[in-house]
Amino acid sequence: MAQPADDIIEILPLDIDPQTKAIGAPGLSSNKALQAELAALNSLHRTLLTLETPSQIPPPPIPVNPKRSAQIGKLKDSGNDCYRKGKYAEAVKFYGLGIDMALKRPLWEPQQLVREEVAALFANRAQAHMGLTSWAEGAVDAEASVEAKRVGNAKAWWRRGRCLVEMGRLEEAREWVGRGLEMEGEEADLKALLAEVDTKLAQAKSS
Amino acid sequence: MFDFLDVDWWSLALPFAYISVLAGMLYTFSNIYRKRKASQLANLEPWFPPHLQRQVYSSLLEIAHSDAGEKKTKVPDSVIRAALLRRAVEDIGRIIQVRQAKQALNVLLQRGSVGEDLNQRFQRAEKEIEEELREVVMEANALVPGWGNTIFQSANEMAANAMVRERLDEIQAQTETEKEWWEKRRETIRQDFEKELNDEGQPKVDAKAVISDDDGVLVDSATATPSKKKKGKK
Repeated sequence: MAQPADDIIEILPLDIDPQTKAIGAPGLSSNKALQAELAALNSLHRTLLTLETPSQIPPPPIPVNPKRSAQIGKLKDSGNDCYRKGKYAEAVKFYGLGIDMALKRPLWEPQQLVREEVAALFANRAQAHMGLTSWAEGAVDAEASVEAKRVGNAKAWWRRGRCLVEMGRLEEAREWVGRGLEMEGEEADLKALLAEVDTKLAQAKSS
Repeated sequence: MFDFLDVDWWSLALPFAYISVLAGMLYTFSNIYRKRKASQLANLEPWFPPHLQRQVYSSLLEIAHSDAGEKKTKVPDSVIRAALLRRAVEDIGRIIQVRQAKQALNVLLQRGSVGEDLNQRFQRAEKEIEEELREVVMEANALVPGWGNTIFQSANEMAANAMVRERLDEIQAQTETEKEWWEKRRETIRQDFEKELNDEGQPKVDAKAVISDDDGVLVDSATATPSKKKKGKK
């Protein structure tokens, strides 16, 4: 009685492609959820098939395959070099490649690692965008960096705040920097930025 | 003999009838009552929507078993493993939901803000998910020995990773609109700035142009006293 629905499981009319081994449900093409699920299943199946583990099951999250980490590190270093030489556009490209590479990590690898890598890369790309004075992109990237890593990421908080100020969105900047201060504690740069925003707001009101 | 029985029967008929009617009523009452209660419990809306991943997994197993002897394409084990992993990921999502709901629900129950049937639905969901976890671990061990130990670790990371990527994609999707907004905004700022410059630099020419464009009748007087007109216009 506890689980009446459990005993009967509906058998779905699934179909398997002999060549690609892809699962489909041609009879239920109107069932969007099922179709989406099958697409996800097939793509997971393909990634599982590329695994080198003996039984082709995902390995435990730790230890991580070092190959990809090394590649991401390399892309980040190239980006940093370009940034230092003032080639901001190229730096943006390298950081972008690094971000793609980090986000394409197999899903079963530790998310904490992905967050760390992506947070650093997004923060750096935001800075490179700021070097190009493309404030809008910089603001978005810095926000993404904060989303990936909320605490201990004062630089990214500051960068989005700066970009918002440059675009003249003072109210928004004040709210953002205020939130940043809540997360980061007393951070000198953020405080200075907040003071700047406040004086600008006061000016805007008085004029 | 017959007389004796007949009389006896009739005198006992009333008490017997009474007892049987009573028993019958009690029986029907309890029967109906229990059925109603059971159907009420059974009809409680389930906490979670149907478990699609599990359906897919079971269906694949079914197909694999029924097809094994006879014909065409065998379902490869790797597909079944992938399906089980998908099922584990969905379970992780459900566990998180149950844990989050539990605290809130307890508080609400203590205050009496929610009814008992919600609580029952929840407890059933909790039991179901426990069963489900055990089942997945067993299935995993059956597919690959020892996989039961790590399948939920992997599934946990998969669920979390999917969430991170979704949030990041959402944020990155704003880039285009933000960029467009800023382009437009910068353009207006620039125009304002230029206008200001022009106003300061060559007010006469500007004023003439504006007025002659706007209103033909005023042109004469405008050329006569341009600076005044400009003030009037602004």
